[in-house]
Amino acid sequence: MKYQTKSAITSIKRFPYQSLAAIFLLTVTFLVVTILAVVSYSSGKVIAYFETRPQVIAFLKDGTTTETISALQHKLQNDLRIKEVKYVSKEEALSIYKDATIDNPLLGELVNPSIFPASLEFSLNDLSKAQGIIEEVKSEAIVDSVGFTASLGGEKSLGDVVERLRKITLYLKLGGGFFALLLTGTSFLVLVITLGMRIASRRGEVEILNLIGAKKSFIKKPIIIESIIYVVSGVTLGWLMILIAVLYIAPSAINYFGEIPVLPRSPLMFFSIFGIILLSEAVMGILLATIGSNLALSRASRKK
Amino acid sequence: MWERSVWLNNSSSATLRLMVKFNKVTKTYGEVTALRDVSFEVKDGEFVFLMGPSGAGKTTILKLILKEIFPDTGEINVGGVDVLKIQEKDLPPFRQKIGCVFQDFKLLNERTVEENIEIALAVLDVPEPKWKERVEKVLKLVGLLERRGLFPSQLSGGEIQRVSLARALVVNPNLILADEPTGNLDWEKADEIMEVLEKINAEGKTVIVATHNKEIVNKMKKRIIKLSGGKIIKE
Repeated sequence: MKYQTKSAITSIKRFPYQSLAAIFLLTVTFLVVTILAVVSYSSGKVIAYFETRPQVIAFLKDGTTTETISALQHKLQNDLRIKEVKYVSKEEALSIYKDATIDNPLLGELVNPSIFPASLEFSLNDLSKAQGIIEEVKSEAIVDSVGFTASLGGEKSLGDVVERLRKITLYLKLGGGFFALLLTGTSFLVLVITLGMRIASRRGEVEILNLIGAKKSFIKKPIIIESIIYVVSGVTLGWLMILIAVLYIAPSAINYFGEIPVLPRSPLMFFSIFGIILLSEAVMGILLATIGSNLALSRASRKK
Repeated sequence: MWERSVWLNNSSSATLRLMVKFNKVTKTYGEVTALRDVSFEVKDGEFVFLMGPSGAGKTTILKLILKEIFPDTGEINVGGVDVLKIQEKDLPPFRQKIGCVFQDFKLLNERTVEENIEIALAVLDVPEPKWKERVEKVLKLVGLLERRGLFPSQLSGGEIQRVSLARALVVNPNLILADEPTGNLDWEKADEIMEVLEKINAEGKTVIVATHNKEIVNKMKKRIIKLSGGKIIKE
């Protein structure tokens, strides 16, 4: 193994421009992959944030007893389509109102607590089922009316809101998936072509090694090690550039998005996520390097 | 597989067992017949010249021994092994026991003399601490110890040929195949190469040399297999 590593390093040193070109190409590829990973994380968090916010509020009729409220709450909690059911009393509703109008205390003082109805707030696991659930909840005897809070602006009906959220989610998933696939394919091609170039320059060596009795694994190892060195360098550089960029923009981004968790606020969580990205990219890169060098090697032997 | 002890005995008086046997071997390249019904035997510890003009079939014989190419018909036995029956996975250990000096040297241009020789040891999985001693020994033998750090492009034709020979010898092979080892060398250099091969043969190794150099062959007074047009014309 020692010899193979030495051989790979020697080969890199003796063809510095080709090696630099390979590392540069892979750095760009993994830089974009890291951007995509960060964007995927942030968009996932944004969607989760909107999805987990209470979307449906069932306003309860005045005079409803605690038992009947508990019974409905229990019923909703057991419904698999619904999550995070929360009871908001009249007093809590007033407190929320006062918090919301804290800049204008007069508004808070003018209202009587009795005008705020108690309510049951809950989120939905699947927004497409919202209409049906709302109709069911409306038909409950203790429910006065049902409101839907999710709105991205401009929608006239619940159907619009649901449709818009679904579309955004779908586009993000499809676009991200397509982009990820495109990048993976491109990086794989870049790797195979780069390695192919390197192997072509080593074809004589492969032939000589074959003739003096080298096993296939012996011939392959320096080439695989060489490609792993390129990939690991590319992954590290690409990842590092984005880490520095994100660290630089993080305070402004957190400030701009407010309570929407586009980036983790805890440094531990932040570096853990970047650590996971680095590890995943390294695993993906090593896998690509191994498959790519084997493919490039078999192409080179076929051409011979 | 043949026993390594044959060489390790380091004795030219080892029993003359069969090392190479060709039985009615024919090889064609398209419409050109390189070898036609060729049969011969080389005993263990022998020194044999395959002699003939270009296109006589000398290199084809060496390539067939190494299983670099396949014959159309016939049988080839090397060290008691039916070459045609060697599986792909068994080919590396088979080739590791043969030292080859190629006509076109087959050296790695981006590696130094020392590294070119070390490769053969790495292929054989010889522990690295033993490399230095073995490389120095063969470099001394071929007279290139002072040139160990140079690249092939910095060497003369004769020196390159000797590096190729050193790489073949460093693995202590039972059988040495040399394809035109004196090609394009002046008389003095060619003589030096042949002296080394003779010395190796005296240690009990089998040496097969393909050459068209009559002077060398006549001087050496070894067994000669004369080839012409893919046939053995005189033995």
